[in-house]
Amino acid sequence: MMTELGARMRFFLTSRKRMDVDEEIQFHVEREIAANVAAGMPLPEAKRRAAIAFGSRERAREACREERPSFVLESLGRDLRYGLRGLLRNPGFAAVAILTLALAIGANATIFSLIDQALMQALPVTDPGKLVELSFAGGRPGHLHSEGGDTPGHIHEFSYPMYRDLRERNTVLSGLIAESPLTLGVTWNNRAESVRAELVSGNYFETLGVRPAVGRLFVATDETAPGANPVAVLSFDYWKTHLAEAPVVGKTLLVNGNAFTITGVASPGFHSMVWGQTPDVYVPLSMEQILQPEWPYLSDHQSYWAAVAGRLKPGVTRAQAEASLNTLWQNLRAAEFTQLRDQSASARQNFLSAGHLHVDDGARGFSPMRESLTTPLTIILGMVLLVIAMAVVNVASLLLVRAATRAREFSVRYALGATGPQILRQLLAEGMLLGLTGAALGLAIVPETLRLLIRWMSGNGEGLPFAAALNWHVLGLTLAVTVAASLLFSLAPAMQFRSPRLAESMKERSGSGGSLRFRRTCVALQIGFSLLLIVAAGLFVRTIGNLRRVNPGFATDHVLGFELDPSLAGYGAAAVAPVEQRALDALAALPGVRAVGATNDEDLASDDIQGDMVPVGYVEKPDEEFDVELPWVSDGYLQTLGVPLIAGRNFNAGDTATSDHVAIVNESYAKHYFGMAQVALGHHIARPNKPGTEATIVGVVRDVKHASMRDPAVATCYTLFAQATRQTDLTFYLRTWQAPQDVTASVRAAIAHIDTKLIVGKPWTLTEEIEDNLLAERAVAMLAAAFGGLATLLAGIGLYGILAYSTAQRTREIGIRMALGARRGTVVGLILREVLLLAGGAMAVTIPLAMLATKGVRSVLFGVSMADPLVYGGAVLTICLVAALAGFIPARRAATVDPARALRTE
Amino acid sequence: MAQPTDLLQGTLDMLILKTLAPGQEHGWAIAQRIQQMSDNVLQIGQGSLYPALHRLEYRGWIRAEWGASENNRRARFYALTAAGRRQLDSEVKSWDRLAGAVNLVLQRA
Repeated sequence: MMTELGARMRFFLTSRKRMDVDEEIQFHVEREIAANVAAGMPLPEAKRRAAIAFGSRERAREACREERPSFVLESLGRDLRYGLRGLLRNPGFAAVAILTLALAIGANATIFSLIDQALMQALPVTDPGKLVELSFAGGRPGHLHSEGGDTPGHIHEFSYPMYRDLRERNTVLSGLIAESPLTLGVTWNNRAESVRAELVSGNYFETLGVRPAVGRLFVATDETAPGANPVAVLSFDYWKTHLAEAPVVGKTLLVNGNAFTITGVASPGFHSMVWGQTPDVYVPLSMEQILQPEWPYLSDHQSYWAAVAGRLKPGVTRAQAEASLNTLWQNLRAAEFTQLRDQSASARQNFLSAGHLHVDDGARGFSPMRESLTTPLTIILGMVLLVIAMAVVNVASLLLVRAATRAREFSVRYALGATGPQILRQLLAEGMLLGLTGAALGLAIVPETLRLLIRWMSGNGEGLPFAAALNWHVLGLTLAVTVAASLLFSLAPAMQFRSPRLAESMKERSGSGGSLRFRRTCVALQIGFSLLLIVAAGLFVRTIGNLRRVNPGFATDHVLGFELDPSLAGYGAAAVAPVEQRALDALAALPGVRAVGATNDEDLASDDIQGDMVPVGYVEKPDEEFDVELPWVSDGYLQTLGVPLIAGRNFNAGDTATSDHVAIVNESYAKHYFGMAQVALGHHIARPNKPGTEATIVGVVRDVKHASMRDPAVATCYTLFAQATRQTDLTFYLRTWQAPQDVTASVRAAIAHIDTKLIVGKPWTLTEEIEDNLLAERAVAMLAAAFGGLATLLAGIGLYGILAYSTAQRTREIGIRMALGARRGTVVGLILREVLLLAGGAMAVTIPLAMLATKGVRSVLFGVSMADPLVYGGAVLTICLVAALAGFIPARRAATVDPARALRTE
Repeated sequence: MAQPTDLLQGTLDMLILKTLAPGQEHGWAIAQRIQQMSDNVLQIGQGSLYPALHRLEYRGWIRAEWGASENNRRARFYALTAAGRRQLDSEVKSWDRLAGAVNLVLQRA
């Protein structure tokens, strides 16, 4: 085998020369003549016999050449050369085809690159295939701190004691790591800023296999007794962009006012075990208490807050690990259950029997973000595939038009001895040349379109974890798509030239428009694709309109919001609430401000703070798991947003830290526990297992939207942050008289006047926040509209081409009709009828398909029925308009035909 | 003289290899030899002899060299390589098996 390969390589480099073959044949013939003479023939006869015996020298020579290993490549090169010459002969056609393909392929590569990064790529760590992510099913009374990404039966957050026990007592993992994201206030060189950070277990970097770029990363022993080891690791990006790659190892970084020692910088490209998180600073989990003094997470079995991932020991399968870890987890849960207050059978059933620990493949990393990106990206990919299909149809019909004029060329070729496969090969080579040039051009613009799209998708929010770079996945897929597309569109004309007879018949038919049926099919397909894309655009535009029109229950205009976290400026537990109260008072005194309120649960920002809050003495029904929204607010919050009161009273200045604890619930809450609003007043409610949370209901307010405009209002219980069990950061809301942006500067000044170290976080209006939440819908709508417009344009051009051609063919017929008395209107109607029939037929087939496709995206739509008459009517009207426009010019030209001249032309 | 018989696809390669087994030979002599050995039943169409020789050479089963012929002319001589010898063995074996099987069918059917 190897010798054969070696020989091929050798001959490929030093192919035998033509001379050699000639000389060899010459020798053979002479030897034959000599033999014939020796047998007694006269010389002329000997020569004649020898020549007959050998046959055609040229055939032999040709056959020898075909045996050459490099023959395939040589003929491919020849085909490409012919193809190039053919394309250059018609540069306009080539340019249009290549541009069409470049647009479609570039769009495809861009979207696929995003999908690849979001859904397919493994984390940039050592041997990601061995990573597993943990999640559990079962009751979780207490506090859940989730960043999203949980699904029913798959809670990804674990308590710290549970994580420690799993880590120390399992036998199947070589490492179990945990992390939790948070925001920290960091001071470096006297400059304070808030940064994204991650609390990580000591073995985090070791287990993932991340190396330091500078200094050292954490090791297991860095996770010490709570609060004992103030060390920090920086991310490479943060070190580079914010600290200018300064020497940092051993230096002090102020974190929330505490001195932390920087031990090192993580390797470039690494962010987190959670895909989508891009922390700037890493701190050991054991320092949680120092950074969030109000949250005793480290010791609490009922606080679920840390995401957990593990690395399988060599030889252990995921299923074995799940079986082993699940047993361990069940035992730990059984011990935990004995400490719970509720020991009823239903609680036991919910907590223990319904519990299960999942161990899932974690190569790509757990990600709350992935889920929210998957649907819009998939929809966009679907649209891009439609655009590619359109491009293929477009180029195919262009090639076909060209083929009609090339029938002569190919007839000549056949006459000169070309075989069917040779012609086919050459047409394919031409197609490939078009496709590959288009792909190269398309790929060239991909990094730029990626950068644009990423910047645009990021909106005002935090940066998305996408890189604007091509990788092998994308290049490979693009190549595959290009080759498939090229095969498809070059096949159409190639089929027509398959045999010499067909070429002849083509030549005959080229005058009578024999390929018209195929072109009609092409245009019908284009109209269908356009309709699909226009419908998609319409549905999403309507969705956005509906979401904007949703009444959240309070006025969202003239509201400025910003975040304030005194703990980032080093304020200790007891000092947080007073400074927040001072901020509220200072802001209320600002000119142009009508009202000020604050909450720890940001509105319309997909934020949730949920838990259970039940009437004292209430006996839960079996399986009752009634989570309610539990915001802590200032006494002016409800009035500032304008949440209508329907019973009792609002919070007021008389409700202070020392007065009786009070609560206001919304209608849904009152209905669930008390049947109606009035009954709720005066009842005592409290959080189970949480001393100090008891409060009296003093008022009931209407339901308002909280998490987003899309999500329905949920049961809510408002309490005062001044009376809360612990201090927290707050989101402030100012209702203003003038444009809310205008008070931003005076807000900053007022806060700085209290303390210059306080950081005013992302000040923006509520309207901006709502728009930001519509980002995915906006992205899809805009791309759909852009693609839809492009598709309609292509369809219009295609339609025009066909009509111009067919009316030109019918000049004689029209001339006769007009000579016989047909009016101009009749002629125009004749042509337009053809257009509208074609468009109508195409739409009739596509509309059911569009409805079927709509079913798949129903979850993303809002307030639009699947057969929305406005959307479909609009789409049909658009297509008809474009079709009529495309038909109008040829129709007019036909109507102005002079009958006498038309009859004379043939 | 009997009518020349067309060669089975692929058997020409085997016959060439077999002819070269005793030692090196040039193209004309190979054709002559096959013709003589088969009592003139097998006549090698010259159009297929040289492509076959080239094919075998590219596969590394035979090796070609310029040398002097018996009448002292420059000629291209072909010789078996080690790989060619192995190839010949395996082709002869599979030929025997095929021929044996065909014979069995002809006798028994």
